[in-house]
Amino acid sequence: MKTVVKSKISALLDEIAKEFNLLVPTAGDGASKFAPYTSGGQVSLDGRTLLPPKDVFFPQTEKMYKFSTDGMAGSLETLLEAPKHQMLFGVRPCDVKSIHELDHVFLTKGFVDEFYQSKRDRTFLVSIGCNGPAEPTCFCQSMGVNPQESDAVDVHLFDLGSEYGAVAKSENGEAFLQKYASFFNEAEVQLPAISEFALKPDVEGITEKLQQMFDHPLWEEVSRKCLGCGACTYLCPTCHCFDISGRVAGNQGFKFRCWDSCMFSEYTRMAGGHNPRPSKKERVRNRFLHKLQYFPERYGDLLCTGCGRCLSKCPVNMDITNIIKQIREVELA
Amino acid sequence: MITEKIRAAAKELLEKGEVETVIGWERGTFWYNSTPVFISKPEQADRLVFDDFCANNLAKYLLDYRNADGKIAVFVKGCDARAITRLIQDNQVKREKVYLIGIPCTGMKEAPKTVSSQDVAGLPLLAKCQSCATPNPVIYDILLGDPVPQKEVGNRFAGVEALEAKGADEKYEHWGKLFSECIRCYACRNVCPACNCRECAFDANGLNWLGKQNNLQENQMFNMTRAMHVAGRCIECGECERVCPMGLPLMDINRKIIKDLNELFGSYDAGLNLEDRPPLGQYKLDDPEKFM
Amino acid sequence: MSLNTEALPKSQEVTASPEAAPQPWEPRIVGFACNWCTYAGADLAGLSRLQYPPSIRLIRVPCSGRVNPQFVIRAFQRGADGVLVAGCHPGDCHYSTGNYFTRRRFLLMQRLLEYMGMDPRRFQARWISGSEGPKFQQTVTQMTEDIKALGPNRKMRDVE
Repeated sequence: MKTVVKSKISALLDEIAKEFNLLVPTAGDGASKFAPYTSGGQVSLDGRTLLPPKDVFFPQTEKMYKFSTDGMAGSLETLLEAPKHQMLFGVRPCDVKSIHELDHVFLTKGFVDEFYQSKRDRTFLVSIGCNGPAEPTCFCQSMGVNPQESDAVDVHLFDLGSEYGAVAKSENGEAFLQKYASFFNEAEVQLPAISEFALKPDVEGITEKLQQMFDHPLWEEVSRKCLGCGACTYLCPTCHCFDISGRVAGNQGFKFRCWDSCMFSEYTRMAGGHNPRPSKKERVRNRFLHKLQYFPERYGDLLCTGCGRCLSKCPVNMDITNIIKQIREVELA
Repeated sequence: MITEKIRAAAKELLEKGEVETVIGWERGTFWYNSTPVFISKPEQADRLVFDDFCANNLAKYLLDYRNADGKIAVFVKGCDARAITRLIQDNQVKREKVYLIGIPCTGMKEAPKTVSSQDVAGLPLLAKCQSCATPNPVIYDILLGDPVPQKEVGNRFAGVEALEAKGADEKYEHWGKLFSECIRCYACRNVCPACNCRECAFDANGLNWLGKQNNLQENQMFNMTRAMHVAGRCIECGECERVCPMGLPLMDINRKIIKDLNELFGSYDAGLNLEDRPPLGQYKLDDPEKFM
Repeated sequence: MSLNTEALPKSQEVTASPEAAPQPWEPRIVGFACNWCTYAGADLAGLSRLQYPPSIRLIRVPCSGRVNPQFVIRAFQRGADGVLVAGCHPGDCHYSTGNYFTRRRFLLMQRLLEYMGMDPRRFQARWISGSEGPKFQQTVTQMTEDIKALGPNRKMRDVE
């Protein structure tokens, strides 16, 4: 396997930044997140970022179209940014899985979202494996993620302690490793053992069980403490609900889309004022059913990667692993 | 042990049928997570705990029980009790519909870095507890445990004063940087016991007070309006700042408003007693006059 | 969502300089005037042919107590260089006490705006009665002068 010592990473990133628009995990002032690399700047390659990389492909606010009128004439312009070659460096396997889930939503089943696609297609992914839980709240292993290795990327880096072991996972990845071969050595490596995860929810058969639980009193019970904020959905790497809205001033305006959250009361409110999800019971139920039932039914994958962000930042410790446990404990008549 | 006392108290209230629900805390994901719980059967009372991590202000949940038939019991620390006083003043909660079990509180702790270390004593107090002025509940039906002495908290406005001393552009830069980070998850609003409107102006989409874009201008609108809306009603429980996933120093705004209210209209601490009305809900003929 | 006051649109109000455009920059002030006193005072100023700068845009409100802090922020967002809230003198409120609440609310608001980095001279409140046409004239003139000295407002402005 090709290896690179960790102390050489910043030199490697400096080189990469000449070719790519490079995004790396940074500690940030308040919250850690993926941000443009600056030479000699902060790079934080330990653990996962608080903000997932989903906004790289699916920004929180994104202008889509602008329009203007001139008498009877009108014009409409699609605001697709010109593709720039960019690299997302240091994505953790849980977040790689989340990008895979977002691909399902934005690129498959005959619906292709050109705004997502334009950013997704031009992004070179480099993942870094974990040798165990990065945070106590991690449970990716239980959600079918191999914490040590990702496949749906261009290059994967194994964490070998003082160095990274690099494996190309695509043709672009091969070319990349060739190009930067001077940074790498060839070595026999032994992958470290994966340390124990504290949280191990069992999701075996959960989708089938949930199909019979829409009206179960459990939802009333688990939703009581929910405050109805959107912290969980906005920090979730897979939540992808959005709203399209617009602004008009004079004879011109624009349409934009922005993240929305099914935890907000106005999310399902209709124009006439009726709200089919009137209370937090329906909203909390929807969030978990979407993750554990509706999405698997449609795409065959759970919409949770086990990154643990929602559970670590929830103001009231709403714990998806505990809810999965409670769902399993329910005895259906 | 306080946990045994609260279990016994809850059990007794439920067995006698004096209350229909008890709102307290239970053990959450890890040993350092204590999370709100709602107990309605005496045999469930053993789920209740009280430890160093019961930071959640439970008063907010009383709003979910505005139309409950029976009484609701709720455990209150010093800050929670002030929140309840405020809710009673705002006619959101009827005093006779709640049973308050007071718990003197020495402050809640921050979560440790790892699950394995169980050294509670070595953990720092939460920022919101370091400047706590009311460790003992100001309103309660029964008090479990002995009142704890008030700590020396120093000048809680020191941070505000440091910011005030900066130049205008520097201040704008400071807040702009912070508000740009805001993801508008509304955790600060939803956890706040002073935010008790049935429909928030920001959820009333048709009114369009706040665009849905996440940008500096809309975030400024949100954060400044939120601060003005809780002006004179903020009880300094610090929950907004604690729950902010982005770690924004929201109490620097709330405290600024409290400091100004004190300077302009006389010293006032929201929620300390039922008789004092909030400063923006009243006036004096001889208020400072700057607008002649 | 970046903080970049340089990235303002190149709209005329902001970038117009004497060389580039024939029209010199004039401040835009949004004035919230109470129906019973200040609006009448403004009317009197007009009827008396008192000259004052055309920089103010008056919005009539039933009472100065109607003015919500959000009105002020929104005005700045949409391009105001200054905001004036004006109503009856304390004691003269048509609704007895509305302006006493206004006084408390906007004393606080002015300080909050300052804390957020806004020059407090951009936000003013004044008591102007129906008979004080000259005071309305002076207030608008003075505020226009002050804001001219400060220059165009870029803070809190909507960039879109």
